Amino acid sequence: MEPYLSTPVHAAEAGAVQASEALFATLYRDLRGLARRELARVGPGAALGATSLLHEAYLNLAERESMAFPDRARFFGYAARVMRGLVIDGLRRRHAQKRGGGLEITSLDGKEVGAEALASQAEEMERLGRALDELAALEPELAQVVDLKFFCGFTFAEIASHRGVTERTVQRHWDKARIYLRRNLGAELPA
Amino acid sequence: MTPESWQRASPHLDRLLEFSSIERRRYLQHLLTEDSALVADLEGLLDEGRQLQGERFLEQDAQELLGAPATERRVFGAYELEQLLGEGGMGSVWLGQRRDGHFEGRAAVKLLSAALLGPSGITRFRREATILARLQHPHIAQLLDAGVSPAGQPFLVLEFVEGEPIDQWCDRRSLDLRARLSLFLEVASAVAHAHSNLVVHADLKPSNVMVSREGRVKLLDFGIAKLLEGDARDGGPSALTLEAGRAFTPSFAAPEQITGGNVSTATDVYGLGSLLYLLLVGRYPTEGLAGTPRELLQAVLETEPDRPSEAVHSPRAEEREQSAEIARRRGTTPERLRRALRGDLDTIVAKALKKKPEERYGSVAALAEDVSRYLEQKPILARPDSFPYKARKFARRHLRSLAALATLALALVAVAGFYGARLRRERARADRVSSFLTELLSQADPFVAGQGEPTVKSLLAAGAARVRKDLAGEPEFRRDMLTLLGRIYERRGDSGAAVPLLEDAVGLARKTLGPSPELAQGLNDLGVALGQRAELEAARTALEEALTLRQRFLGLEDPLVGVTESELGRTFLDQGRLEEAEAHFRAALAIRRKALGSAHHETATSMSDLGLLLRQKGDRAAAEALLREALQVNRAVAGPRHPDTGTALANLALTVSERGDLKAAESMFREALAISQASLGRDHPDNAVRMSNLAFVLRQRGKLAEAEALCRQGLALARPALGPDHPAVSRQEVGLARVYLDQGRAEAAEPLLRHALEIQAASYVRTDWRRGAAFSLLGDALTRERRFAEAEALLEQASELLHVLPDPDAFQTREALANRARLAALYRAWGRPEKAAPYLPLR
Repeated sequence: MEPYLSTPVHAAEAGAVQASEALFATLYRDLRGLARRELARVGPGAALGATSLLHEAYLNLAERESMAFPDRARFFGYAARVMRGLVIDGLRRRHAQKRGGGLEITSLDGKEVGAEALASQAEEMERLGRALDELAALEPELAQVVDLKFFCGFTFAEIASHRGVTERTVQRHWDKARIYLRRNLGAELPA
Repeated sequence: MTPESWQRASPHLDRLLEFSSIERRRYLQHLLTEDSALVADLEGLLDEGRQLQGERFLEQDAQELLGAPATERRVFGAYELEQLLGEGGMGSVWLGQRRDGHFEGRAAVKLLSAALLGPSGITRFRREATILARLQHPHIAQLLDAGVSPAGQPFLVLEFVEGEPIDQWCDRRSLDLRARLSLFLEVASAVAHAHSNLVVHADLKPSNVMVSREGRVKLLDFGIAKLLEGDARDGGPSALTLEAGRAFTPSFAAPEQITGGNVSTATDVYGLGSLLYLLLVGRYPTEGLAGTPRELLQAVLETEPDRPSEAVHSPRAEEREQSAEIARRRGTTPERLRRALRGDLDTIVAKALKKKPEERYGSVAALAEDVSRYLEQKPILARPDSFPYKARKFARRHLRSLAALATLALALVAVAGFYGARLRRERARADRVSSFLTELLSQADPFVAGQGEPTVKSLLAAGAARVRKDLAGEPEFRRDMLTLLGRIYERRGDSGAAVPLLEDAVGLARKTLGPSPELAQGLNDLGVALGQRAELEAARTALEEALTLRQRFLGLEDPLVGVTESELGRTFLDQGRLEEAEAHFRAALAIRRKALGSAHHETATSMSDLGLLLRQKGDRAAAEALLREALQVNRAVAGPRHPDTGTALANLALTVSERGDLKAAESMFREALAISQASLGRDHPDNAVRMSNLAFVLRQRGKLAEAEALCRQGLALARPALGPDHPAVSRQEVGLARVYLDQGRAEAAEPLLRHALEIQAASYVRTDWRRGAAFSLLGDALTRERRFAEAEALLEQASELLHVLPDPDAFQTREALANRARLAALYRAWGRPEKAAPYLPLR
């Protein structure tokens, strides 16, 4: 049991930075645990299925502290931010392993991805992450849509139903967020 | 961009993104007087937005970067992408390989730019694609599949054509004019066939007209230009759709495509004229008249092309060499080629290439007729007009291009009028027949009389025999009677008797009427009856044909189109194809709300259909709202004891039980069962569904004895009525097996589950989660029987099929989590706790 969970959620609601970090850490640990377990089950190279991981993390948390969670929309907001961290960390680790000759990675077109490509991918993602942090300071819901869609693979319909808004609204947030990011990342666009 | 300037721009950007480009311009102009720096920022941002449309910025899933296998992203329908064939403005084309080892292995998969479609276009895209998929002709590359992938990527799967563009094919073989014209006639026959199905191509150019190695013409991309047009909601094409890239090729475009007038069959006549010109003289009609794209567009609008006979015989010395080459490729000399073209072929090409659509050939068939006449050395029908001797540059300003659409509009009105009159005549006849029969048989229909009557059966049988025996000489009357009897049987739940009658009716309609509203009606009824009998593929085929016919004859918003959309949705639902089902249900509901109003029982049926589907997809809140609305409408319109009210009640109870309010669900299910027993008679198979619903809730409430009794009763009712291998029977069996497992009677559950799995293998799609549930339950049963290895295989199979959905209370989510628990239980019982660990809830 992790009885402190309810506290960070509510404190994070109130905007306390430290509490928010505690929540972040808890979620991060949970999600990594789930991801490892999933990999152990289906073997390496399998799709991580970010959406189902998140759902399961939610179910786990809700089960542990059923009264503590304000609502699912907020949960997914935090969790998606965490997932972004996981993806970027994952890329960074991959890069490190690749340099050490540990792992082979296959890209979309089936060609092996070189260490250089990986390094630049990781860098791009980090830049994207920083830009998203800036955007989150201005318009958090825009950054969240990117986290949920790009980093977690949720569909517009799912995001809309989490938030209780129309798909059209999510679509507009998505368009707007991409405009912001494209503007601020300039020529260095990830895929 | 600084945070401050973004914050200033943001609220304006929200508005601008919802505007059309004209509205945007106006808004920005207005703002300009107040704050020019802000306007500059906004223009920059909008520009970013425009550039995003052609890119895939952030559209790929970040998970892919982590090396997750790309296969699921590379699978579209039954096809997996193998190799990129080409890329263009509309998207990319891939060579696809069928994944299920089907012998027609390869296909071309087109991934269309989602930006061209827009979020509202997806339903329309699917509907249009369904129509295109029915377009079958030996010279048209068949559309095999179309859809939108889970990642939101619209795609088309087309017959893969290996070959080369028609002009290259002809040139490489130095085909003479006769051979070229014969090939051209193949092209024209394909286009004419499409036109008779009300599909235009609108982008006829050599790269879309391929010739296979065997020398057969194949047209690609039929109807796709139309598929990609935006919503027709705002009338004419807006500047925005132009920005998004209208799908045509300037060198081959008709004037009305450039001015944004309506595209019609006349557009394809022009396209064929351009193609013919190219085949005859080796260049496009407008080639050499223009340098810049703008000049090219202007030339298409204003400049009469050279006559073919002039085009191959240039007086200019520097072009003589080229003329000689062109003639050589046609197995002749420039002078002979000029003479062959002069006269009839000049006239034919000129008439096809008229700037005004109404001055062109009235149809592709008419153009083909003249080409055939030329080949047979008969006089052609087109009259040579005052075709200008030299190109008249800027001679006529083309102001009235919009008048172009008159041709197609008039043709459509004429067609509709013709069938309208016929429909009225037929309807009067059908009314007479049905009133006669209805009088005779009215007590047969439980929905009319309120109660079933045993004597009805014999009456119906006598009626059916009489129709088959006595009415052979009156096909139309006979067809009406067959239809009516079939429908009555079907409504009584005896689809076995209904199907042969309705098949006869369809056969008669096909023979005596051909494509017609009557045939559509027959196909619709047949599809419904086939669906009842779980012959789902046959049902789908019949219903899709019915839908196409009804849309064609009645327009897109007729209530009857709603009926077929609705039935088609149910068929897809039964097949577990939720996406297609949703599209059809939404279409049906939209049509009915508009045509019939919300307080109508058919509208309520559509609400229920969509509600149930959304429930299955995990959107329970939306589902419950729709189902409540449906119940209210049914209570008000049909009355509290009507079978439809019972159905609505049961549907709502299902979501209520899923939400966890079992007590409320139990009383609603009881009421629904009582209604259906009272109104349909105690033997109606629909009662079995109510019984299993009620049993499901009772089991969860621990009332196992009553649950077991109800399940057994339901099975006893369903098996003889539906046949032992009906999917509904498998659901009953799974329900009873669950009760047995709760009672600790694994050996009783096992045979039920095995039989259920057999039925499901035959009727559900391979990935249906309900199969996963049955696998999982069987695995559980075998664990309890201590047959661990078998149990492990089954539970693993189950975990492939069961997924955790966004809704933690959804049946599938619960089953997926239960499957994990069953795996953990298996390994513990097996004495392998270390393998159990991954399946235990995370602590």
